[in-house]
Amino acid sequence: MEKIELSIAVLVLIGIIVSSSTMYYTATVISNVSTVSSDVSKLAEAVANLTLTIGNFSTVSLEAIANLQAKLAAMEAALAKMTLAKKTLVVGTTDSVELTLDPAQAYDYFGWCILQQIAGTLISVKPGSATGTDFVPELAVSWNVSEDLTLWDFNLRQGVTFWDGTEFNATHVQYSFDRAIALITKIPEGAPAGLGYGDIINRTEVLSKYKVRFHLNFPFSPFKGILACRASAIVEPTYAPIAQVNYTSGDPRASTPVAFVGPYFLSEWKRIAGRDIEIKLDKNPFYWNVTSQYPKTEHIIFRFYSDALTLRLAVEAGDVDMAFRHITPTDVLDLEDNPNFKVWWGTGAFIQYLDFQEKRAPFNDTRVRVAIAAALNRSSVCQTVFLGLASPLYSIIPPGMLGHTEAFKKLGDANYTLTRSLLKQAGYNNSTKKLKFDLWYESSGHYPMSAEQALLYKGAIEAASGGIIEITLKSADWASYKLNRDNEIMDAAIYGWYPDYLDPDDYAFLYWATWLHLNYNNATQLALYDEARATTNLTRRTELYAQIDNIAVEQCSVVPLYVSGAWAVTTPNVDGIYLDITQDMRYWLIYLK
Amino acid sequence: MGLRSYIVTRILLTIPTLLLLLSMVFLVMRVLPGDPVALHFEKKAEPWQLENMRRKLGLDKPLWAQYADYIFGLIDINYVLAYGYPNLGKSMQTYEEVGGQIFSAFPATLELAIYSMIIASVMGILLGVVASKSYNSILDHLIRGFGTVTYAVPIFFLGIIFQLVFGVFLRWLPTGGRISSSVEPPTGLTIILSMPSGGFIYNFLLSSIAGLAISAICIALLKVKRVKFRFKGFAISLAVFIIAWVVYAYVSWYFVLKGTLQIATGLYTIDSLLEANPVKFVESVKALLLPSLTLGIILSGIFVRLTRTNMLETLRLDFVTAAKARGLKESTVTYGYALRNAFLPILTMLGLQFAMLLSGAILTETTFSWPGLGRYIYQRISFRDYTAIQGAVVMFGLFVTLVSLVVDILYAYFDPRIRL
Repeated sequence: MEKIELSIAVLVLIGIIVSSSTMYYTATVISNVSTVSSDVSKLAEAVANLTLTIGNFSTVSLEAIANLQAKLAAMEAALAKMTLAKKTLVVGTTDSVELTLDPAQAYDYFGWCILQQIAGTLISVKPGSATGTDFVPELAVSWNVSEDLTLWDFNLRQGVTFWDGTEFNATHVQYSFDRAIALITKIPEGAPAGLGYGDIINRTEVLSKYKVRFHLNFPFSPFKGILACRASAIVEPTYAPIAQVNYTSGDPRASTPVAFVGPYFLSEWKRIAGRDIEIKLDKNPFYWNVTSQYPKTEHIIFRFYSDALTLRLAVEAGDVDMAFRHITPTDVLDLEDNPNFKVWWGTGAFIQYLDFQEKRAPFNDTRVRVAIAAALNRSSVCQTVFLGLASPLYSIIPPGMLGHTEAFKKLGDANYTLTRSLLKQAGYNNSTKKLKFDLWYESSGHYPMSAEQALLYKGAIEAASGGIIEITLKSADWASYKLNRDNEIMDAAIYGWYPDYLDPDDYAFLYWATWLHLNYNNATQLALYDEARATTNLTRRTELYAQIDNIAVEQCSVVPLYVSGAWAVTTPNVDGIYLDITQDMRYWLIYLK
Repeated sequence: MGLRSYIVTRILLTIPTLLLLLSMVFLVMRVLPGDPVALHFEKKAEPWQLENMRRKLGLDKPLWAQYADYIFGLIDINYVLAYGYPNLGKSMQTYEEVGGQIFSAFPATLELAIYSMIIASVMGILLGVVASKSYNSILDHLIRGFGTVTYAVPIFFLGIIFQLVFGVFLRWLPTGGRISSSVEPPTGLTIILSMPSGGFIYNFLLSSIAGLAISAICIALLKVKRVKFRFKGFAISLAVFIIAWVVYAYVSWYFVLKGTLQIATGLYTIDSLLEANPVKFVESVKALLLPSLTLGIILSGIFVRLTRTNMLETLRLDFVTAAKARGLKESTVTYGYALRNAFLPILTMLGLQFAMLLSGAILTETTFSWPGLGRYIYQRISFRDYTAIQGAVVMFGLFVTLVSLVVDILYAYFDPRIRL
């Protein structure tokens, strides 16, 4: 093609494009003009409305404005007087919110910890409680229970508002529980599913604006414990629809305070790839108990560390004011000697126990199980592995709780005579028939110091047996450990438990728990257990749990080992920490001097 | 073969490689003991709970159905357009998009990898060169010893020492995290452009002017390079015109729609510079210093020994003596002549190490609470989070392939004797 023809072709092309677009443009301009004229008339209307509204406003008296201003000034003056010396507390932890902050789904320690600061329940446990069962009013002010323990009435606190001004009343309670139960099938891993809300609660009834009644399916005296746990947090329906919600950091509902009514609200939640980076809590001005006293610190910042050692280093470097969960026993004893830090000690509720597979030999023989139980030396393990920061446990119900006994002391510690006589009765001896079995422990750090514990137990048992017993130590990481448990592979295994609600009801069943797959059943224990949860008579309950313990000592299906302590490390200017058996940290009581 | 066809072949080969890798991981994960379903239940689990969970995670379907779902999800274009990353499934532990999780954890790992690599290579190569120059002297022995010791030291040990010295005793640097909690993370460059409003036609016409302008520049450049204008030149200028037109139209439409343009790399050091915020820059460097120093020092050990060995060989060669005889400066001979020739094996090692670092330095990330990919994948393994692990492994495979491709291309650039 020649140059001239080429350039003509290009020019023609450009000309076509330009003219067609101009035509299109004028067409749109014409249509726009007609819309503009209708817009103008609408605008005139709007202006007329506006002048009317302005006229209305001017009738609001200047007096009212002056009153409001005076009130505001008074509030500001009061706020200025508040003696919050330092306003921010930085807390370091190795925990992390596992999934979400939806009460229908959260079932991990840290999720519940944050929920405790931002959400409210009907009742709660008194800080510093010795037994975990002295309940104090929170969103409910008083309650009464029917004789047969199936009807529970609560009178609600009046004048509590959510952030959008909605007043808290009985319908919110009904909604929260109905929602939790309705979501059980969709959220099988959530706390309401795990705690059996669907089985326990038949329905929630609104008796009047500030009175709600729970109808239970069976008499259940630990119900107050259930109501005080975070799965019973009250939610605002607008922000917690009945369809499943995932309160994660990308969801604005997670970072707005509207869904809950608690001492703090979640002002920031940074999470990367399923692990928390930072959580900021700010004082909730709509908290029903907000005064100059509570919450004591205006801002709480959580910093997350990957393991206990780096948390300790962060404490020493001054990066955090407080560290809670988890500092190792060695580190905490070191820090106790350091005058720059203060260590707070408290009661623990986490226990570990040894269980036996009774499907096959050797542990289908009760004598063998009792022999092993008698051979254990709990105090040696507590001293050596936990440096004295754990206590030997002689009942599956820990000390400080109703129903605790010292039943397993009957078997003694490192009771060589009993062990050897029982083994002889069972037909084992040193020369022809040795007792060989596997002792399993969890190896990925899910339980503290598992390998060290297992080693000491092996040594103690073999020594007590005088050489008749030969133990092979085996380990698996948490996922495989659970699988082995379900497949009933492990002869003897070390397991752990921490409670959801503080009642012996949440511990005693461990002796025969079906999900431990131990192939152990005892109808007597079960009957005693059911009777204990159906009465509020404390003396009677104590008797019943003691009887359960006695049977447990005879059977040794599950042998309690130790109960851990609890501790927190802070700088010396931090005060107001309550480390009670609930294991909850009430951050709104903590302040910096 | 030609560079172009080489690159194309390599890129095309990535796809079956990754597919194979993915299939292997898919199978291996499901063979491993441990069940993501059971791991959702810390305590008791009734059979109906396990059943529900299984259905929720999609594990009740037969194996081939799960595999098909996954593969078809990967090639879903709509998802890529909507989210910006391929559909790697939903995490079985947190139900979030795996692609999103990986891409949010990746910048931290990338930053750590880049700076550690810089420290490791600079330190390692320099020390190696110095050692090779002073062969068998005390300095040589010291440097060799340094190289061995640093490589033998466990990463977490060195990390903890640094944390103790600089974090606890001296209190100069933070012991963990990417940036101090008193400072917001940097958001990068924000460009706010108010485009002339006037609808699509107006911008259409405007972009044609821009297109013409750019094509005019292109024609001028081509004339300078003396390209014949019969067909090739015309085709090029027409193509440029159309591309510029489209690009300009798209850019102006984007600004009209969104108002601002956010350029954020995810690397805190670079983003804080883009944002022109010196405080954030200083804070992010302070937090980055210890982990990259730890990793850098450990890795430099490899480079020290490798450089030293290669340099010793190269320094013996004739051309080095010849260069010295010609009167060239010592540094020119060492770096310009000898090191350049000895560089290829070091380049390989650089590439490999970088690829490894991109998959996340788990020990460093744990010690310094660095929210990167290494920590991510470690946690996912303990949860038996099949989809997350598959996604992460595919990403690692992709990184390694890309890095090795780049290294191979760089070979050709560094050494003209290698004809690709």
